[in-house]
Amino acid sequence: MSSLTRLIAGELKRLARYKILPVSLVTAVLWIVLFLFLSAKEASEIAPLLIFVDTAMMSILLLGASHHLEKQEGTIRTMMVLPVPLGQILAAKTAASMVLAVESAVVTSAALFFIHGVTLNYALLLLFVAIAGVAHAAIGFVFSLRSRDFTSMLGLLMVYMFLFTMPSILFILGAIDAKYEWLLMISPSHSASNLISSAVSGEFNIAMTITGCVYLTILTAALFKFAVYPRFRDNAARE
Amino acid sequence: MGTAFSVKDLRLKYPSSSEDVIRGISFDVLEGEIFGLLGPSGAGKSTTQKILVRLLEGYGGGIEYFGKSLKSMDNSFYEEIGVGFEVPVHFSKLTALENMRFFSGFYKKTADIQELMERVGLWEYRDIKVGEYSKGMKVRLNFVRAMLNNPRVLFLDEVTNGLDPKNARIIKDMIAEYRDKGGTVFLTTHLMNDVEQLCDRVAFCVDGRLVETSTPRDLKLKYGKREVKVEYRENGTIASAVFPLDRIGFNDEFHELLRAKEVETIHSGETSMEEIFIIVTGVEVR
Repeated sequence: MSSLTRLIAGELKRLARYKILPVSLVTAVLWIVLFLFLSAKEASEIAPLLIFVDTAMMSILLLGASHHLEKQEGTIRTMMVLPVPLGQILAAKTAASMVLAVESAVVTSAALFFIHGVTLNYALLLLFVAIAGVAHAAIGFVFSLRSRDFTSMLGLLMVYMFLFTMPSILFILGAIDAKYEWLLMISPSHSASNLISSAVSGEFNIAMTITGCVYLTILTAALFKFAVYPRFRDNAARE
Repeated sequence: MGTAFSVKDLRLKYPSSSEDVIRGISFDVLEGEIFGLLGPSGAGKSTTQKILVRLLEGYGGGIEYFGKSLKSMDNSFYEEIGVGFEVPVHFSKLTALENMRFFSGFYKKTADIQELMERVGLWEYRDIKVGEYSKGMKVRLNFVRAMLNNPRVLFLDEVTNGLDPKNARIIKDMIAEYRDKGGTVFLTTHLMNDVEQLCDRVAFCVDGRLVETSTPRDLKLKYGKREVKVEYRENGTIASAVFPLDRIGFNDEFHELLRAKEVETIHSGETSMEEIFIIVTGVEVR
């Protein structure tokens, strides 16, 4: 087993042992129950929002919770003296945070199909969920590394949601006019939401989809290179 | 005997501080010795250890690890060192054995987990979650974690802090055995018992500077009084007399006292490491 595989396996085992995975599965089951009471059209409209919330917000929350718990347990420090590159440690944590996003996408898609017979482009949905999830994992890392504890990290998340996520949700609910969507694409949340909505509805604005993919990819690379990677080791040393 | 670490004019300043926290310290850690870095809290000993294990970067000066620049080392460096932290460093919801197996899996060369855990008395508690361990058990597990890869150099921070005398003895015996087999130990501690029983050489760190580096024996000679104190019984009470150690064999008064009185104790003026710590650092031992 390679170091990266071992790290990811360790992260997943802890997700299960710390009850994060089971709780997330229960939440996903609630979505299935919700779909039973909705028409196919309503379910298709609400599905992107559910997947987006799990992909974007839950990624940040999971990263923050797990980072501050590990900081409290001192395990980040001991991970840093293992013969594995820091990049692999970060990759494993990012992969673990993606599990909830992928799980949400799979459960929601399955519910849409089995309850309402709605099919989507599953490969594209998973690709977009991956792009959006990794970008929000990077944002989660930045918040975690810049906060003293989980509570202060939640404070940063609230500010982020107010500035970037609320406008996107208001847009989905029709409270913001469609002509402002290009402006909203500056928000990582909206770029993510746009990609996921496109994959679920099958309606694409090609320019916007490409912009969203490129923007989130560049943002991810920039955050990991300049904000996460240099600070992670320093943070572990100062625990 | 080679040099495991050669540290020259080491300096470090945290971005948030205006002054260096490590102010130009130099020392060598020889292969096969137990080197103790001692000092009061905040003196810079843990920071120095973090630099040596490459947790802290951005330092000035030079550090060589077995003749190679520490900065040029890749992650294989961690195949060769074991780090025992002062605070517990385990996943609390995993069992002790799961923790050890997880960490052990990353090393090419590994020690026998069962043997190590049996030695420190944790094997029978291997399937208990670490979160349910007592402080002493976590400290012992930290030591097992540090030894998992049969390290060439072992870094230990306050290794017996929180242990009862019996378990502290077991850990100290294991450290001495490790040294006797050729291992090198870098120990930071404020527990002078550990220093007296383990260290081949010690350095005292105060305000980011090394103020004294020597062997415990030489320090005791340097800071001790060259005298002999005899306590004896006389007329139903305890009396005492002090004699110069130099040429004690020719001191008639001393010999006469030994012959004539009922001697209760004889002590040389050798001082303890605790007293030396206070003299050198100017700080009381916690």
